[in-house]
Amino acid sequence: MAAVDMDTMTRKPELAFAPGDFELFLHHEARLLDERRFREWMGLFTDDGIYWVPAVPGQESPLNHVSLFYDDRTHMKTRVARLEHPMIHVQTPPSRTVHQIGRAMLEETQNDRGEFLIYSTVIMIEYRQDNQRLFGGHQYHRLRREGSSFRIAHKKVDLVNCDGPFGPIAVPI
Amino acid sequence: MLNGTLDTIGRLIEPGRVSRRVYTDPDIFELEMQRLFGRSWLFVGHESQIPNPGDYFTTELGRQPVIMIRHRDNSVRVLLNRCTHRGAKVLNERSGNAPRMSCLYHGWVFDSDGKLIGVPVAEGCSANFDTNDFGLAPVPRIETYRGFVFASLAAKGISFDDHLGGMKANIDDLADRAPDGKLALDAGVHRYMFHGNWKLQVENVLDSYHVPFGHASTVSKDGTQFARREGDERGAKVIEKDRTAADWKIRRSYDMGHGHGWTSNTKLDDDKRSSPVYEAYVNALAAKVGEARANDILKPKFHNSLIYPNVSIMGLNIHVRVIKPIAVDLTEVNVYPIRLVGAPEAINAANIRLLNVTHSAASFVQTDDAESFFRVQKGLQSQLTEWVDISRGLGAEDHDQDTNAPRGKATDELVVRGQYRAWLDYMREAA
Ligand code: FES
Ligand SMILES: [Fe+2]
Repeated sequence: MAAVDMDTMTRKPELAFAPGDFELFLHHEARLLDERRFREWMGLFTDDGIYWVPAVPGQESPLNHVSLFYDDRTHMKTRVARLEHPMIHVQTPPSRTVHQIGRAMLEETQNDRGEFLIYSTVIMIEYRQDNQRLFGGHQYHRLRREGSSFRIAHKKVDLVNCDGPFGPIAVPI
Repeated sequence: MLNGTLDTIGRLIEPGRVSRRVYTDPDIFELEMQRLFGRSWLFVGHESQIPNPGDYFTTELGRQPVIMIRHRDNSVRVLLNRCTHRGAKVLNERSGNAPRMSCLYHGWVFDSDGKLIGVPVAEGCSANFDTNDFGLAPVPRIETYRGFVFASLAAKGISFDDHLGGMKANIDDLADRAPDGKLALDAGVHRYMFHGNWKLQVENVLDSYHVPFGHASTVSKDGTQFARREGDERGAKVIEKDRTAADWKIRRSYDMGHGHGWTSNTKLDDDKRSSPVYEAYVNALAAKVGEARANDILKPKFHNSLIYPNVSIMGLNIHVRVIKPIAVDLTEVNVYPIRLVGAPEAINAANIRLLNVTHSAASFVQTDDAESFFRVQKGLQSQLTEWVDISRGLGAEDHDQDTNAPRGKATDELVVRGQYRAWLDYMREAA
């Protein structure tokens, strides 16, 4: 299992949520992305939330090495504003995507912070301008409880081809 | 059919226009690999990528695989990554440590200076087999400047000093920003590809004309781009009143000869550049070089520089970008963040983070450029229109005293014409 900074997590089971709740949340997130509801997708993140797609396998830090994505709220806002901009050429025509989420598992529970670490697999098929691409990886969502649902405090996607050369990637995975 | 004579090549380039075929013709691409990439000085890598003996980094010069490796005596070697037995690529990883390099196929072993030091089943070698004749071949010429390693695949040609010329100042400008006077390219690499000719990227790095249009999606309603440097609240003013902003238009570009060039800095509110991270960096630099010198170093001078034909360095959000031709319509680009050695790690981390949003394959800026290159390559399939126009500012340049170079508006195409002058010099002469 790839390292996630979860040292402080305890392993106590959390009874308030059933595993299916996490899965439903991930499906909801995937659907927002597929429907290009990027602003709502951003709204799933906590204000201090992070979206990270490392550029090498096992990357330990986003601060001493490049990443494909490492967005805090400021960068995410710019990204979403750009995705909504009428003159984003790399999305003219727009990408169509379908996400497939699998194998969702509760990895860790941190009761005092109301946080859960969820592992899952993701496959995203993207079609744009005569060209279909496949992205696949392992993802780690650190979900923070908020009322009867969650927000994303940290999402990391480890793409299997993260260190390969890519054509332009315009939409989040 | 192109026969590569002076006459045919010469007809592709005119003072303010070039034939579409320089971007689309596979024969011309082959000729470029021989005549241009086969003999010009090419950026290979940076010494900081291989700090210890045995450390190596593999890359391509043109399409030819090479190894940059540090030998036991600390010298940097650039060797052809091609086994002298039957031709296998010897080192297969992008980087690593290999004090001895062994070929996977029949197990020949090479020292880190290329010497052949092991041949299995030696009794089978022919009587006159001499291991000295079978070392991994070094590239004919290698030179370094402030850690930047360049090589030429041709034994003869213009000297490195003459080639680099005035562009040393641009490398100095970057290296001087490090409190220790040294740069490190040790924070990974962004790799992106596009379906277009390599020259589209080379021409683009000094193209200030395209920004308000090609990058419209990065410009907010107030006409400024997003912040690209630590300590800036916002980026440069690009658009005002639906037109290219005056601040953007006053910038200049410099034709430095041999295809090189650079564009002057983006006008930002430099007195306003400030943040705890930036201040800590300024103090670290001043502590090493004195306050006056630090102020001088930090005065922005250049936005982007091109060292023709395969590397650009950016002074705004600092990085080194290597352009790798793969086929006439396919190019890979490698973007390395620059770490300022001796600077607080927080400013280096900030630079790395900002480079993610400007030049990763998933960035806000580079993706729209790749789309432009792709559409140019598509458009140039139109055979009934032969010429690509590069005439902006033709004859309007003045002479800059400081750099002793022709200078034009950054929104003109002076530097593109300079690139094609150099291109023609390489291309019209048989290798
Ligand atoms: S090809 Fe390298 S040992 Fe035979
Ligand atoms: Fe651009």
